[in-house]
Amino acid sequence: MIPTDEAGIVAAIQHAAGPLAIQGHGSKLAMLRPVQAAATLSTAGLTGVTFYSPNELVISARAGTTIAELAMVVAKNGQHLIAEPPELGALLGSDQPGTIGGAVAANLSGPRRVAWGAMRDHVMGLRAVNGRGEILRAGGRVLKNVTGLDVCKLLSGSHGTLAVITEVTLKVLPAPERRATLVLKGQPPAHAVAALSAALGSPYAVSGAAWLPADLAALVPSLSWLGGNVTLARLEDFAPSVAYRSERLRAELAEFGAVEMLDDAASAVLWTDIGNVSPLVHAPGAIWKISVRPSQGAGIVAAMQAIGATCMLDWGGGLVWVSGPATAAAHHAVEAATRAAGGVWTVMRAPDPWRSAVAVIPPGPPAMAAIGARVKAAFDPRGILNPGRMVAGA
Amino acid sequence: MIEQPEPLHDVLARRDSIVAGLRRLLPESGVIAEPLRLKPYETDGLSAYRQTPMAVVLPETTEQVAAIMAFCSSEGVRVVPRGAGTSLSGGALPMEDAVVVGLMRMNRILDIDYADRCAVVQAGVTNIGITQAVSARQFFYAPDPSSQLACMIGGNVNMNSGGAHCLRYGVTANNLLGLKIVTVDGQIVDIGGAHLDAAGLDWLGLLTGSEGQLAIVTEVTVRILRSPEGARAMLAAFKSNEIAGACVDSIISSGIIPVALEFMDRPAIHACEAFAHAGYPLDAEAMLIIEVEGSVAEQDDLLGRISAICARHDPISLKVAESAEQSAAIWKGRKGAFGAVGRISPDYLCMDGTIPTSQLPAVLRRIGEMSASYGLQVANIFHAGDGNLHPLIMFDANDPSSFHKAEAFGADILKLCVEVGGCLTGEHGVGVEKRDLMGVQFTEIELDQQRRLKSAFDPGWLLNANKVFPLTAALRAA
Amino acid sequence: MQTNFTADQLRDPDTASSNQILRTCVHCGFCTATCPTFLLLGDELDSPRGRIYLIKDMLESGRDATEEVVRHVDRCLSCLSCMTTCPSGVNYMHLVDHARTHIEATYVRPWHDRALRRVLATVLPRPGLMRMALLAARLARPFAGLLPRGPLVFKRLHAMLRMTPANLPANAAVAPQVFRPIGPRRGRVALLAGCAQQVLDPAINDATIRLLTRMGIEVVVAKGAGCCGALAHHMGKHDPAMDAARANIAAWSGELDGEGLDAIIVNASGCGTTVKDYGFMFRAERGVWPKQAARIAELALDISEYLLRIGYAASRPAADLTVAYHSACSLQHGQKITEAPKTLLRQAGFKIVEPAEAHICCGSAGTYNILQPDIADQLRARKLGNLAATGADLIAAGNIGCMTQLAGEALPIVHTVELLDWMAGGPAPKKLKMPALAAD
Repeated sequence: MIPTDEAGIVAAIQHAAGPLAIQGHGSKLAMLRPVQAAATLSTAGLTGVTFYSPNELVISARAGTTIAELAMVVAKNGQHLIAEPPELGALLGSDQPGTIGGAVAANLSGPRRVAWGAMRDHVMGLRAVNGRGEILRAGGRVLKNVTGLDVCKLLSGSHGTLAVITEVTLKVLPAPERRATLVLKGQPPAHAVAALSAALGSPYAVSGAAWLPADLAALVPSLSWLGGNVTLARLEDFAPSVAYRSERLRAELAEFGAVEMLDDAASAVLWTDIGNVSPLVHAPGAIWKISVRPSQGAGIVAAMQAIGATCMLDWGGGLVWVSGPATAAAHHAVEAATRAAGGVWTVMRAPDPWRSAVAVIPPGPPAMAAIGARVKAAFDPRGILNPGRMVAGA
Repeated sequence: MIEQPEPLHDVLARRDSIVAGLRRLLPESGVIAEPLRLKPYETDGLSAYRQTPMAVVLPETTEQVAAIMAFCSSEGVRVVPRGAGTSLSGGALPMEDAVVVGLMRMNRILDIDYADRCAVVQAGVTNIGITQAVSARQFFYAPDPSSQLACMIGGNVNMNSGGAHCLRYGVTANNLLGLKIVTVDGQIVDIGGAHLDAAGLDWLGLLTGSEGQLAIVTEVTVRILRSPEGARAMLAAFKSNEIAGACVDSIISSGIIPVALEFMDRPAIHACEAFAHAGYPLDAEAMLIIEVEGSVAEQDDLLGRISAICARHDPISLKVAESAEQSAAIWKGRKGAFGAVGRISPDYLCMDGTIPTSQLPAVLRRIGEMSASYGLQVANIFHAGDGNLHPLIMFDANDPSSFHKAEAFGADILKLCVEVGGCLTGEHGVGVEKRDLMGVQFTEIELDQQRRLKSAFDPGWLLNANKVFPLTAALRAA
Repeated sequence: MQTNFTADQLRDPDTASSNQILRTCVHCGFCTATCPTFLLLGDELDSPRGRIYLIKDMLESGRDATEEVVRHVDRCLSCLSCMTTCPSGVNYMHLVDHARTHIEATYVRPWHDRALRRVLATVLPRPGLMRMALLAARLARPFAGLLPRGPLVFKRLHAMLRMTPANLPANAAVAPQVFRPIGPRRGRVALLAGCAQQVLDPAINDATIRLLTRMGIEVVVAKGAGCCGALAHHMGKHDPAMDAARANIAAWSGELDGEGLDAIIVNASGCGTTVKDYGFMFRAERGVWPKQAARIAELALDISEYLLRIGYAASRPAADLTVAYHSACSLQHGQKITEAPKTLLRQAGFKIVEPAEAHICCGSAGTYNILQPDIADQLRARKLGNLAATGADLIAAGNIGCMTQLAGEALPIVHTVELLDWMAGGPAPKKLKMPALAAD
């Protein structure tokens, strides 16, 4: 079912005889657990910007609007989507575009997350239809709003298991006038994370902090000429600020090695590639995303190398993208390493049989499992919205 | 006085045994139950509402909080959590049959990690206490509510507190990594940690701003940020609210996002100047405090661009702070604004609606009209960058009719905020103050959804049952 | 904040004043954050806002003070940090003074508490008695270990014994007289020679007089002037406090109407806060007293304020010492003097550092360290830790109470004026015990 308005979503849910798989264009079906449902309810038919007030830094769009379209609309006004929601379709083996509803439902953020917050941090309001077929509005269209429980945050990242998001309202900001990237060459992961920690701990407002091993860097056009591992720090602001801060940061990072610079155009392409995890698009096997405290990132890389997996780091070391064998054994190694580091993992791409069988995200504390079940029932008493998407039986 | 849920009479009848039970869980100084000593706990920063609780407990550890919650839960006793008691929405208002759980003794900083840019603190650490603990290394904790000197991080989490700098740095929710909570039945649960973003449902996001409806927060992992090289404020004074509002629009549309952009109207300017002696322009109808960050050259560049924009709006005066001291004085007036109004009026109600920023001139005009018709003065302070409006309605609490008029005036302002596309509360929370206005913003379906969400955490509605949600028939009858 | 006083109650000038103060409070709670006892005890009842509420309830009801209210009001240090913090301008000092008077009038303390307070109020303001008491205490000091530790009464005895200086200075109380200036007379001031300070540390007055006369200022220690009244005042003993203040007002008014005075100099800031409040204390008295008291209060200056006004200059080469400046509460909160002492010390060539939590009391607070030894000890340890962390060579303070409270640890502590006198040609303070310096 691909309704073209919210009423259609309401009707589809009210009349659903059984579980519904909730999606936009389906670009992210490969992640988490497969949903066993007789019918699919798509928001791809709900499109278009419904409200945009650039001076108030606010835009609203229906859930099925593609990220690309939304980014274009705000770019025309010199603004950008703060969290850089990535296009993960290619990585996840889909040729479909991502929608803004999907980016919010999965709380997907790009490299800027480390400095400017996650996708969910910029959701000011949304409309959704719960499992009872009721229309809910959460939040609003103003930047500060603490009226009532924050259903916006709860639905962001809920992967369609509580309600079907039909429209989102986002905070946007002026796009930077200039970008630049500082590059350190040849750093092993531990040194890279230390350098990125210094960069992020500097007063220069670093807005991207990533590390790629030599073989992955070779796949990125703007980096391939460098050779070796690369450690990357991005600056974005007015041109004079970027010029000044580049020099200061270069001096501060000098103790870690020689610093190369990438210009505005190269930086723009590079960080889109990092956000979209482009270097791993053609990697065979399974893909995991691991979030840990940044200083643990290098340890995860080492543990993954031991099972023959390849990693790249974003968020200053706090986000580890892992490409490894599509085996349950590899998954258990991911689980063990992540647990030891006090972080969380998400299975992003894996064969259906085993992603149905393993914990695709860490099971929460038992107390929260019970509360989680009651929360699910509070929104979707019949259990028809994306059942089992995150956790078996919920 | 606001309607309270019907007290649980069986609980009141068991008062002595409940207090005795609490005394078994805590050291002697940790349980307060004598009527006279309970009195100062009957209210918070919204002193117009008062209710003495059955008892106050002051735990020192998460384990003690867990023991208290397990006990209260098994005894069916209502609980009201309390931090520094600075809420302006009555967020810590007790109930007659409730135990107030005060987190003030949990005031230790447990861990600071500069490499990973986070700190773990107990709920009773003050907001500014976090910044003070890390400032020697040039780090800071970003959200800065005006009460940051006194308000505690546990309260900040529960109210999702904002501040003057959230245009750049976000509100509390955007600066948290993890929580340690105690559930209503006394289980200790860790939410999040030192990493970014949950893999499952965003409990951290939901608990933030939940006003003590879902659980008790005992520890918080916050992000700490490296301080900018410097910051400087400027004052721009204008002939009318409309002109100042237009100037805000021009600044934002130029692509500059100042770290703070604060608006004060004439009465607010006068009240704050009397307190801070910051050189506020007393001849202006409206004033903006604009702050930028960076190196001195970057500050000069941005302040130059902003001054040029302001100059196009026929300013009465533009004054750029020349030193950190001048900047501090400018902020001292703004941060002490609420208390400063206490100098010109015995009492005030502080409203906290948010409006689309473009609506500011129209809203201020309407507030001015209401002020005349209610016969009560009002001073307006506005986070112009994010639309959060703080009208301070001045009244005399010793005159009951004055208070009722102030309440009605406040309700009218908040309805107006919703009407123009805004919301009831931007950062102070619903509390008891705006509880009965929730229907203005939400449908009954939406409120019921939120109530079911609360029930999922607190099936017996023992946590803060007198706040946030308009009383249901069940709470009225108990 | 709303209050509930009857018209009848408001006819009492003290109640009317307290009502005004309470009406100013908006219950915002900012004061809790900088209150030492709230910091330590984490209880609203031990915060300024909690005490204000307890006092409001007590005064409104007209009830006699109860044990609960007394407990929490007694724990207040009167450091007045809350008044610095308060954005609404609540005069907590006058409110708590009123409460203490009400407590003294309506509450019967346990016998040992009453006895101790009577002794303190009798002995401390009288240098002769004080000296005898300290001599006796010195004899008792070796036996301090025999006292049990538990009950409050013994803790208080321990606290008193600890206050006793190991070497009691020679009797050097300043007799009433006029100290002529060296060189042409630039000004004429009265010096509050004080009471306990003269016995505990006569070097402070000596340095003050040396420095001022060297700068061309005639210094009068007026006959009839003595204790400022603060000690009794803070214990709620209204009549003795007023008697002490009256004696001072009379003595200084005589000088003022005679040869004239440019200022009344106070070098113990705890006393300064009280002298500056004489106008308020006497506002409802009969006859000439309100006017005279206000005039005296106007003239009162801390020594640092006066030195800054007349222009201090060092005459010795800088001593290359780092001084941790300890801001006495009565100076920074009571009199709002924060910069003057630091400016002067810098002018004298010292490097000035300030401890963390500079706004928090050291626990001395008049007789507080004797009456509330547990809290005072915690605050002392906290303050000494913060001072030690500065890495300074010595501590300077402008109040004898703080000096006594913080003495005896690793860092020597001296009065600001002793350092200023030294660098302007006076002897090195003996308390520094630095061979190179003492040889001066």
